[in-house]
Amino acid sequence: MIKNKQTKLERHYATLGMMLIAPTVLVFCAVIVYPLVSAIYLSLFDIYTPTLQGEWVGLDNYRELLGKGEFWASLRTNLIWTVGTLSLQILFGIGMALVLHQNIWFRSLARSLILFPYFISTVVAVLVWRWLFNDLYGILNHLMMAAGLIDMPVDYLGSMPNAMISVILVGAWKYFPFVVIAVLARLQTIPDSLYEAARIDGAGPVARFFDITLPQLRDVLVVIIMLRAIWDFKEFDLIFLLTGGGPVTSTQTLPLLVYKEAFSLNNMGMAAAYAVAMMAVMLVFMILYIRKTGEKDA
Amino acid sequence: MADVVFKNVHKKFGDFIAVEGLDLSIEEGEFVSLLGPSGCGKTTTLRMLAGLEFPSSGEISIGDRVVNDLPPGKRDIAMVFQSYALYPHMSVEKNIAYPLKKRGVPRSEQGPMIARVAEMLQLTPLLSRKPRQLSGGQQQRVALGRALVRDPKVFLLDEPLSNLDAKLRGIMRAELVELHQRLGRTMVYVTHDQLEAMTMSDRIAVMYDKKLQQFAPPQEVYREPANRFVAGFIGMPSMNLIDGDLSQEGDRWMFRSGSISVPVGPLVADARGGEACLGVRPENLLLGEGPTPAVVQLVERTGHENIVVVEIEGGLRMTGRVPASTDWKTGETIQMSIQSEAAHVFAAGPTGRRLNIASVAVRP
Repeated sequence: MIKNKQTKLERHYATLGMMLIAPTVLVFCAVIVYPLVSAIYLSLFDIYTPTLQGEWVGLDNYRELLGKGEFWASLRTNLIWTVGTLSLQILFGIGMALVLHQNIWFRSLARSLILFPYFISTVVAVLVWRWLFNDLYGILNHLMMAAGLIDMPVDYLGSMPNAMISVILVGAWKYFPFVVIAVLARLQTIPDSLYEAARIDGAGPVARFFDITLPQLRDVLVVIIMLRAIWDFKEFDLIFLLTGGGPVTSTQTLPLLVYKEAFSLNNMGMAAAYAVAMMAVMLVFMILYIRKTGEKDA
Repeated sequence: MADVVFKNVHKKFGDFIAVEGLDLSIEEGEFVSLLGPSGCGKTTTLRMLAGLEFPSSGEISIGDRVVNDLPPGKRDIAMVFQSYALYPHMSVEKNIAYPLKKRGVPRSEQGPMIARVAEMLQLTPLLSRKPRQLSGGQQQRVALGRALVRDPKVFLLDEPLSNLDAKLRGIMRAELVELHQRLGRTMVYVTHDQLEAMTMSDRIAVMYDKKLQQFAPPQEVYREPANRFVAGFIGMPSMNLIDGDLSQEGDRWMFRSGSISVPVGPLVADARGGEACLGVRPENLLLGEGPTPAVVQLVERTGHENIVVVEIEGGLRMTGRVPASTDWKTGETIQMSIQSEAAHVFAAGPTGRRLNIASVAVRP
């Protein structure tokens, strides 16, 4: 008969395990659970930001939020920005990783240089781009006019859809190196023999990309897309510094709306409700995404 | 008609020479093994034939076509890789179908072709599985299936059994031979395992130091090794190679090394006296009889026979084979002699050529 009773040694190991895991659990509670709970708690109050005085309003903030056109407009803007910039990041990222995976003579240098946009601080990057985009002195307009592509300077940040396109492009430029590094790392682990077998089986370069490379990249792409989607969805500084959400509210994504509610309109409770709603939207997308990618794996 | 021909093929990677002056002519339907130690150029040779590497100079032809500039997909070859190189995200069925798909075989024709190969290799119940769900032997079969399905002119096999355990290797060896007999196709097989080469091949191309050393049927490679390297490489346990001096005494040749002095010959007409090497197979070392005293150093019992390592005066060690019934102990002194009529003589140097004309090299 098998005894279910724990031995002294097993009990000792169980205690030791609890003790070892305890610090992590405590830190997790302090930095994740507490802010999350307090954000949800705050969202149930009407709070004046400067004094942080408020009164209980229950779910009123959420009712107001769902009835407001601004929330839905910002959600739509947020989705356009996320999908737009993420697609370009993935496209450029994979393309550049494939180039850097080839035996080219400046490969080592290029691999280091490619990280530059990712390393550079967002403030600096945005300042540089704002100058490039400047409608009066910007080099972009100057070059395009010199090349005869345009007759009049283009307002890149002050009109639509230019502002959204510009924000998406700068976002793609800033974050595609992350995709390059992750994809490149995976590319280097794909065995050469798979490509050789495919060549013998009669596959050309395009077929080899779609039949070998892409399926092999699938797992890493799932992770990249998930991480970048989360990060892009809650991107604040790049958009805030580049357009401030304008023209009017054309590029105002949810994080910018949260900021506006909290610090311009001094509505901390409402801002918290927006933040919680944002989290809920992301959660729904992530659950759907993980389910979908998990299904294919089975 | 020769099916695969290498004409004076050289391959360099930068300054590194991988294959030098290779001339090889493989007959249609022949099973040829490229055998040699690591770095001898055998895999590069196979890869050149596959089109995965291009020769630096020389000519390679398959059938009556020079294939130097043809990409692998156009050479009408199939290859089984050491790592199997199965497409991990595809099912067994899709793996086997892939070469058909890439060659534009209509889907309706693919089904029966896959079914035929799957049945031949007993893969039918596994068709829907992914490679990671298969054992090593099953993966090996799928790799074979992918090669077979297209019915190519030449099969290339790059150490396909080296990742299998000893028992399965034995089974697959027999299956491959059977498959070759059934298909009658030309097969080029790279291996460093002489047992595989000896048991499976019609002819063995022994390679060493980037060059072809000998190209002959297994028995000939064993009995009449072209040079000292081939002599030492082929045979388990390997041939005893004794460095010494060759001299002509009257009308006969004598080989001397320390306390060993044996008559050898007949030798080739241009044989010269001086430094040479005597080659004696373990079965031609007569232990327990003869004039030379030897001390037993090691006895390996394999079951059906004993492998005995002895040391003679001067510290020279030699290996012999004796029936399992002999019961010598380590440290025991026994008598020994060399069956001189079965011994080989090689010129000095690691690839010194064989100087004796013919050798019986068999123990009665």
